[in-house]
Amino acid sequence: MELWGKKTDRGYTVVIGCGRLGANLANTLSDGGGNVLIIDKNKDAFRKLSPSFGGLAVTGDATDLSALREAQINKADVVVAVTNDDNVNIMAAQLAREMFQNRRVIARLYDPERECVYRELGIDTICPAVLSAQEIARILSEPDAAEERVRESSI
Amino acid sequence: MKTKVLLVGGRSKAKSLATSLISKEYQVTAVNNTYEDCMKLAEIDGLTVIHGDGTRPFVLEDAGAGEADIAIALTSKDEDNLVICELCKKEFHIKKTVALLTDPQKTDFFYKMGIDSVVCAISAITGIIEQRAFMDKIATLVPIGEGRVSIAEVPIPGTAPAAGKKLWEIDLPKQVVIGCILRSDTAMVPRGDTRILAGDTLVLISSDRQEMAAIRELTGR
Repeated sequence: MELWGKKTDRGYTVVIGCGRLGANLANTLSDGGGNVLIIDKNKDAFRKLSPSFGGLAVTGDATDLSALREAQINKADVVVAVTNDDNVNIMAAQLAREMFQNRRVIARLYDPERECVYRELGIDTICPAVLSAQEIARILSEPDAAEERVRESSI
Repeated sequence: MKTKVLLVGGRSKAKSLATSLISKEYQVTAVNNTYEDCMKLAEIDGLTVIHGDGTRPFVLEDAGAGEADIAIALTSKDEDNLVICELCKKEFHIKKTVALLTDPQKTDFFYKMGIDSVVCAISAITGIIEQRAFMDKIATLVPIGEGRVSIAEVPIPGTAPAAGKKLWEIDLPKQVVIGCILRSDTAMVPRGDTRILAGDTLVLISSDRQEMAAIRELTGR
C-alpha cells in the first residue's frame, strides 16, 4: 500500500472509537511501529492521542459503510471496536467481519450479556467488568500479597 | 391462541402500530427506553408496556420475548435495531424479526445478519413522495418482494398514446407485463392482440423499478 511509505509488514490496525481505551491502544501500537488508523465521529476526541502518534486519525461514523471503505478497513489485519456504545461496537464489528471480510475483529462490550450475538460470528470480545472482577478476585485470593510488598519495601 | 408481537422502541410509530395490531386481535407488548414515551404508550387499551433498554437481554425477557412470535425493532438507531433483532433471534428464537433501518446502504448487511425483514423508511418514503409528486395518474402502486416487484393500477385516459393500440404495438420495457385489463366491471387477461381502449384500467406487474418508464410509455406522462 503506497499510503504508508513502507511495506505493511508490521500490520495495519483499524481502531474504532477514540476514547481512553482506543487512544491508548492506538498510541501503543503506533509507538511499537505498527500502522494504525483511528476513527471517531467527534474530532475533538483525537486530543487524547499522544503527540508522537504516527498513524492516521479519521473523523467519521464507523457504522457508515462509506466511512469504513474510506478507512480501507478491508485491508486491515485487525479491527478493534472500542466506542463507548456496545451496540455501535457490535454493528461495527459485524460490518468489518461480514461486509469487509476482516478475519480478526475484537470488540469491547460493557454488558457481557450481549456476548451471545458475537459468539457464533468469531468476533473476540473484551468485557471490562468481567476482567476487573477476575483481577480483583485474584488479588483477594492472595490476601497477604500487598502486605508482603509493603513489608519488603520497608526492609 | 393470539399471535404475540413485541415492539421495541419508537414513539409515534410504536403507538400507531400497537393500536392497529391490537384492533386486529394481536397480543402486543411494547418496550421503550424513555419513561414519557412509556406513559404515552400506556394510554393504549390492552397494550403491555415495559420501560427499559430493549437492547438488553433481561429487558426483552421481562417483555416476554421467549414467547413472542414476531419482534419489530423501531428505534431510531440502526445499531440498536440490529442488536434487538439479533438478540430476539439468537437468545429468544423468535421466528420473525423486523427491523427499521435508516441507512439504505445497510439493507443487504441486515439481511445477511439474519433479520427476516428490513424496512428502510427513507427509501420507502422517498419512493412514495416521488410517486405522489410526479405520477398523480396512478391510482395505486403496491410494492411486493421487498420492493423489487411492484403492481401498479394505471387508468388510461383518451389522450394516452396507448389508447386504441394493440398490446404488441406498445414498446414496453422488458421487465414489465400488463397482467390484467379492467374494463367496466369485467377483468380480462390480455394477449398480444388485445386492444387497449380509453377508460380501461391496466394492472402492471414490473420488476427493477421499471414501472415509471412503463407508465410514461402508456399514458404519455
